[in-house]
Amino acid sequence: MALPLLNFEAIHPDLWRASQLGSAHGRTVASGDAGLDAELPGRGWPTGALTEVIVPQPGCGELRLLKAALETVATRPVFVLQPPHRLQPAAFTWWGVGAENIRVLKAATTADSLWAAEQILRARTAGALLFWQQQVRPEALRRLHLAAQRADTLLFLFRPTAAANSTSPAPLRISIDAAPDGVNVSFIKRRGPHRDKPVFVALSPSPVLLNRHAPLDRRSSATPAHREFLPNLVHAGV
Amino acid sequence: MPVSDNGFVVLEKGRVLDADAAARSQGVVDGMRRGGVLTLAPNANLRERELTREEQTVSGVAFALLQFTPNVVIADENVVLADVTASLRLFGGLRALRQRVRRTVADFGVTCTASIAPTAEATWLIARAGGGVALTQRSLSRVLKRIPLGVLPPARRFAEWFDGLGCTTIDDVTRLPRAGLKKRCGTALLDALDRAKGEAPEVHEWLTMPPAFDARVELPDRIEHVEAALFAARRLTLQMTGWLAARQLAVARFVVSLEHERGRDAIPPTGVEVALGEPTWHEEHLVRLLKERLSRIELAAPVIALRLEAKDVREAEAPGDSLFPEPGGSPQDHARLMELLTARLGSGNVMRAAPVADFRPEVAAQWVPVSSESKPSRTDLPRDLPRPAWLLEVPIQLIMRGHRPFYGTPLRMVSPGERIECGWQDGHIVTRDYFVAEAENNLHYWVFRERVGSRDEREPRWFLHGLFG
Repeated sequence: MALPLLNFEAIHPDLWRASQLGSAHGRTVASGDAGLDAELPGRGWPTGALTEVIVPQPGCGELRLLKAALETVATRPVFVLQPPHRLQPAAFTWWGVGAENIRVLKAATTADSLWAAEQILRARTAGALLFWQQQVRPEALRRLHLAAQRADTLLFLFRPTAAANSTSPAPLRISIDAAPDGVNVSFIKRRGPHRDKPVFVALSPSPVLLNRHAPLDRRSSATPAHREFLPNLVHAGV
Repeated sequence: MPVSDNGFVVLEKGRVLDADAAARSQGVVDGMRRGGVLTLAPNANLRERELTREEQTVSGVAFALLQFTPNVVIADENVVLADVTASLRLFGGLRALRQRVRRTVADFGVTCTASIAPTAEATWLIARAGGGVALTQRSLSRVLKRIPLGVLPPARRFAEWFDGLGCTTIDDVTRLPRAGLKKRCGTALLDALDRAKGEAPEVHEWLTMPPAFDARVELPDRIEHVEAALFAARRLTLQMTGWLAARQLAVARFVVSLEHERGRDAIPPTGVEVALGEPTWHEEHLVRLLKERLSRIELAAPVIALRLEAKDVREAEAPGDSLFPEPGGSPQDHARLMELLTARLGSGNVMRAAPVADFRPEVAAQWVPVSSESKPSRTDLPRDLPRPAWLLEVPIQLIMRGHRPFYGTPLRMVSPGERIECGWQDGHIVTRDYFVAEAENNLHYWVFRERVGSRDEREPRWFLHGLFG
């Protein structure tokens, strides 16, 4: 009788226990938050794979969540494809990330934008590709994922909340929600155990400039100094 | 030869020169007269042989092969010879080279039989006899022996005589006494055999390259859709890349003109000018660019011919041979990608940041086409101003509820106001107080309150201008 293998995970990187986090195939780029890194397979955002980010609406901290990763790959071009609004270069300056390598692409049709994404991935020159798309067909997603596997580009596909329930070939799907001073990142799909509780990621820099807790921590007004009289004075007065 | 159900037959001087499989299955054989063909295959498409177009095709193939070696010869009877002795290592060996040659010829849109041999004459003979490979002297003599005598041009005049002698292959002829053969058939036959065996020197007239590239191809049919013209454009591109490779040049600008059918009035040809940021000589990149550009134009009239002109050529840069290529791809790769994206999406949709030193956010956040020449400004943006990543193109006016701006939920200001007053110099005056507002669902908005003068009899309005992404 063969001995039971004790560490299955050592056989092949594709193998992991249900209680463990899987390993990413390629390199990963640290997300800049230790708590989030610990929950991501491969301890960071995966390169060479499709990552879906479900955002309820633009402007809930999705770009600041990726700030550290964008900073890491900033030496290579970063493509922003079909952004929902105009991107402000001054925001990148505020974060301390250079905006020189950012290229914004707009496409008239879905076919054009998918084509552009595929060309960018195929050229293998991009450090990251951020892609906004409302409606994507499953076969287009699969094609995008296949194209991503041939490059070492960070590929983030931003999709609306309605897309969270549809199937997708992306190995990592997260959804983010705004929380005080940061975002809650919940995992819809990952190579690892299911996790119900979202991970809180503090975002910096925070646009909140007034001290949020000022009213609570305010000291009560100074108590008047206790007036003490020397006993001899007291007696003197009597 | 086009594939058809009814058969396709090429005639020369009223006799069948060649026919496709469909025609042959109906009984058409070489040498048949026109009447015979029409009886057997009444629906067959009959075409007269066009020698000039045949020549054009062959010289096109020869140009395309220039990318593999500078020594190319256009030989008789539609054969193109190329001396690849010096190119073997560069293209990864004989097998890989032969595969690339075959692919190039197939891309050109013609079928070919390929042969490889140590001498040009032998290569020619093997190719005419159906193709094959003979790399050593032994295999060469073995292959040569089996070649039918009819293939050798100097022997054709004496075909009947050889038939009478019982000679059918080259081997049979070489066994005849040499002196008698020379007396009977002249020196041409013996010379050809000697050249094939490598016993006599060969002299070639190499293909000379024109100083400028300008090729034209007539289409077999009038074309009404641009996609169909791409095939011909590809053919021309292949010729051009061969020419570029042989002259060690890279093209920076070229023009494809689509010549239209002449209707009542002559229509000037539609020109598609492709300018490249980075000069290139890679065929696939040129074809991809051309494909994107051609698919965007609309034809005024059917196209009958295509013409390709290399307008601006530069010296080609030698490929980098660094041991460890950069992981992010070379700058050339990036430039090529940007060209491709610009070709399909339009130059206005591929943008880079060009921040302007201005206090007004909508003026400061400028994006210009990648291809534009404007230098990135040297002014450093202030680093401590909170700016949202997303800026709305048109600010949204917010409704007021309980003296507070309302956007989904009541908004609470979480920053001191930032006053922006600017624009008197160019007429777009802006007087605003910007705040960061927090909604009840923890989203942050960049809002502003317009400032109204004391004489204006109205309440200041609130606008949403940015989202903190």
